[in-house]
Amino acid sequence: MSAVVFAHHQLTPTERLRDAGWIAFVALILGIPLIGLTTVDVGGRLAVDTRFGLLAMAVVAAFGGRLVLRWAVDHLKGRKLARQRAAAGNAGGRAQQVVNVLGWLALGASVALPIVFSDNRYVVDTATTVLIYVMLGWGLNVVVGLAGLLDLGYVAFYAVGAYSYALLSTQYGWSFWEALPVSGALAAGFGILLGYPILRLRGDYLAIVTLGFGEIIRVILVNWTEFSGGPNGISSIPRPSFFGLEFTRRPAEGSDSFASFFGLEFSAMHRLIFLYYLILVLALLTHVFVSRLRKLPVGRAWEALREDEIACKAMGMNTTNIKLSAFAIGAMLGGFAGVFFAARQGFISPESFTFTESAIILAIVVLGGMGSQMGVVLAATLLVLIPEFGRNFAEYRMLLFGMAMVLIMVWRPGGLLAHREPTLRLSADGKAARGGA
Amino acid sequence: MMKKTLLATACLALGALSQPALADLAVAIAGPMTGQYASAGDQIRRGAEMAIADINARGGVLGERLRLEVGDDACDPKQAVSVANTMVNRKIVFMHGHWCSSSTIPASEVYNEVDILMATVSTNPQVTERGLDNIFRIMGRDDQQGMVAGQYIAETFKGRKVAVVDDKSAYGKGLADEIAKAMTAAGMSPTLREAITAGEKDYSGLVTKLKAAGVEVIAYGGYHTEVALILRQAQAAGLQLTVMGGDTLTNSELVTAAGPAADNVLFTFSPDPRKNPEAAPVVEKFRAAKIEPEGYVLYAYAAFQLFEQAAKAAGSTDYDALERAMRNGSFNTVIGTLSFDAKGDQKAPGFVVYRWQGGQYDYAR
Amino acid sequence: MAYALQQLINGLTLGAMYGLIAIGYTMVYGIIGMINFAHGDIFMVSAFIAITAFTLLAAADVTSIPLALTFVLIVAIFFTSAYGWAVERTAYRPLRGSTRLAPLISAIGMSIFLQNAVQLTQGARVKPIPPVIEGGVELWSTPAFTVQIGWTQLLIIVTTVALMIAFTWMITQTAFGRQQRACEQDRGMAALLGVNVDRTISFTFMLGAALAAVAGVMVTVYYGVVDFFIGFLAGIKAFTAAVLGGIGSLPGAMLGGLLIGLIEAFWAAYLWAEYKDVATFGILCLVLMLRPSGLLGRPEVEKV
Repeated sequence: MSAVVFAHHQLTPTERLRDAGWIAFVALILGIPLIGLTTVDVGGRLAVDTRFGLLAMAVVAAFGGRLVLRWAVDHLKGRKLARQRAAAGNAGGRAQQVVNVLGWLALGASVALPIVFSDNRYVVDTATTVLIYVMLGWGLNVVVGLAGLLDLGYVAFYAVGAYSYALLSTQYGWSFWEALPVSGALAAGFGILLGYPILRLRGDYLAIVTLGFGEIIRVILVNWTEFSGGPNGISSIPRPSFFGLEFTRRPAEGSDSFASFFGLEFSAMHRLIFLYYLILVLALLTHVFVSRLRKLPVGRAWEALREDEIACKAMGMNTTNIKLSAFAIGAMLGGFAGVFFAARQGFISPESFTFTESAIILAIVVLGGMGSQMGVVLAATLLVLIPEFGRNFAEYRMLLFGMAMVLIMVWRPGGLLAHREPTLRLSADGKAARGGA
Repeated sequence: MMKKTLLATACLALGALSQPALADLAVAIAGPMTGQYASAGDQIRRGAEMAIADINARGGVLGERLRLEVGDDACDPKQAVSVANTMVNRKIVFMHGHWCSSSTIPASEVYNEVDILMATVSTNPQVTERGLDNIFRIMGRDDQQGMVAGQYIAETFKGRKVAVVDDKSAYGKGLADEIAKAMTAAGMSPTLREAITAGEKDYSGLVTKLKAAGVEVIAYGGYHTEVALILRQAQAAGLQLTVMGGDTLTNSELVTAAGPAADNVLFTFSPDPRKNPEAAPVVEKFRAAKIEPEGYVLYAYAAFQLFEQAAKAAGSTDYDALERAMRNGSFNTVIGTLSFDAKGDQKAPGFVVYRWQGGQYDYAR
Repeated sequence: MAYALQQLINGLTLGAMYGLIAIGYTMVYGIIGMINFAHGDIFMVSAFIAITAFTLLAAADVTSIPLALTFVLIVAIFFTSAYGWAVERTAYRPLRGSTRLAPLISAIGMSIFLQNAVQLTQGARVKPIPPVIEGGVELWSTPAFTVQIGWTQLLIIVTTVALMIAFTWMITQTAFGRQQRACEQDRGMAALLGVNVDRTISFTFMLGAALAAVAGVMVTVYYGVVDFFIGFLAGIKAFTAAVLGGIGSLPGAMLGGLLIGLIEAFWAAYLWAEYKDVATFGILCLVLMLRPSGLLGRPEVEKV
């Protein structure tokens, strides 16, 4: 935060107008080349087209928008200050309680969702996607949020998981349940493989090398056709079965399908709902697993490493192992998410594992508030749903998405659920007490 | 009193709004309406809108009006599955799409599960090779396309050095591999086999390599944007290149971007529906609406003609009846007569070699 | 041999371009310690401005190439700097002093926003212009192969070297350069000594954007084709170049850019073009393993 704190003073109307006028002027300058002028294709050559009407509208909108926004921000700030003065003190504890209540509510909602929307494919499928991103977010949260290692190539582990399942099941006929742990282990192996040579790197150097690693994996998947199917990807990936019962309309001779075994009428929704619950259970397990880890020595070591690496070394901690364990566990969770992605799609190809995907997963972690498990859930839901709701706005969809990322960050720089408290802290009487998870 | 009238009006208005919606039959298109390949999505939408308007003007299908749903997958496999699920919710009975093979493949599994018929223009062989019974392809396959292109090269450019280049996309690599195979089968082995990264701008390295090897012709699997860049950079390096490519090179952006060098571009595409005399009235109608029926416009139109005729033949829009009708029937559309084999591939797709000439494409001689 | 020389010229041109963009990354990183992920997209915006400016000139029947280039450069630099300023003001300044990652995410958001804003306002179709400068010089002619360097390639290399010298002079010799370096070392102390930190940072962003604008104009002239997606790949490559050279170091960015351009050109020329990016990132990893702060970067000294 800036060192200087200005006294809160009410702006005069002239000041407001001048401020908005300045913004309108900036909008005019920025708008001239992109909104005011455009080039159109006239018979194989470009010609310049002017849209000054649109530009004028944009400038007026900027002027009006700034006036309203400024007024609203000032207004809210005033009220917030008043509230903070009134309720200075136990804000942290209350926020934690709210988060806990929210968590239980979210859990209840996610269990009830497929029952309420039992014939709505779209809702269940989108919820599955949200959960996949939640898993990814939690995995990356271990690496970035807890251990403080910036990873821009997390998608590599996602890809390793997805391809492991796809190859094991289509080439060797492994079932979902056999492939799941193996894929997770493979991803963890890749995490160690990547982590080992680059342990010396710090901060942004680490970021670029991980980015490079992600790209290397993708380029290899594209080019090594004999192994990965190249750009064609792998299609017809078998769907997980219900303990051996397939979700098919017409089961093979002499075997039961899920519907016929339970005497239900076949519905394609069974498989979707099953997959949804499957990933929900795995996500909950992950949540418990990570929350536990944070309270174990290794989890505390991650957080210590994030806060100060040199101090950790001075304390005699083995930073190599700590970093590697963070990489491995993060990668394993990413691998699991990849398996679910492959199972949801039934088809994977390298274009699903680009840098943009890494950026979105990282955005989930940071937007949620680094280190906050509930924050990841909230951010994953937002980042999946904004583009989905935006389908009605068609071409404005990704524009709004980018804008939302900037605005959320500016509004809450620490993330949506930001309060970075240590998992464990010493209480007043010297005993270890549990803080927020 | 006042309240009652208001209520009654509201009910009437609601009824008026919802009534036709219930009787409507929902059909859909899906493709890249945004993103890099948005121009293809645009063509599909224009063709489909015209087709739906015409069918509804004729009284709809089996007495029901058609309503068009549009899905945007931006050529991203993940979004394609989302779009497919949305379409299932909207209770569509027929889908024309998706456009990219990598979107069509995962989306088709969703449609297959809930029994929705689809007619696609995706050319990757995998689209119909997976044994799904709900998918019909109204375009040729990459392997057929590659064969035509490869044989044409082997005949026309005999004794000259030819390089095979692709952009590492599913479409591009598949096509380039097939061209190389067909060339080798016709007794001409490619001088060079190269790959580029789509989206880059600098292909001077490739051009230098081609120049050093004395290559005059390249067979290219990929999209038009890169072809334009390669041609421009070859010209700047003093290398006269002829390019032979696939159906994506129908895009007129190629001519704008490559300039006069585009006259050296050959490509394979299905016989031009605009030259089909039976399509003339429809072509006229498009032109009257200021839409040039190029590329995928008429394919989209034909997809809905196919649906209309199949539904008429089946006498219902139930999946099983419709599927049987489509598989066994023969349909008269603006892109010619369509009939399908057991896999769902078009029986007589036929590819023709075209050449760009002064901003227009025509059969190459 | 002739072939190698030609590939060397190609690699240098490409590398010079990466270098120009990389300097923008490195300057911003130096002063506020953040990766400006939207830099590649600012470069893309400038290419669109250049296309519009060239088309305007063509419509006005301007035929003098030096005049046209100067005009386009000035226009592009002016508007692109405005974009650089606005991006810093809206997306980064409010986040100054928060966690390291917050500005990174808002930068990624900004990058998505700019890409889509350009796509919406200018269309998704590629924008071509006819070749601006044609021809070149033949350097060496063997019966099998003629090595030539295009005027545009020459222009790009010369401009880059000139800008490099100008910027090094500015950072080391001028009052602004001193203020900039002061802010790099210790923002709080610089503020206490009367340096206007906000203005210095804004100006640094505008300079970075101006360099991106030069690169944008060069790309437009050289390739003649622009689309809304060019910022992404160029941005990643330039960022890699900045890190390879040692992020925060101006000559390092240039060196990194040239190295990456050359690696790409020669790898694609003699080995497998499809694994070009693997080579680039592989060499980056190797260099960083041996020298964890890049080729010319200062090792970070950390105190507890």
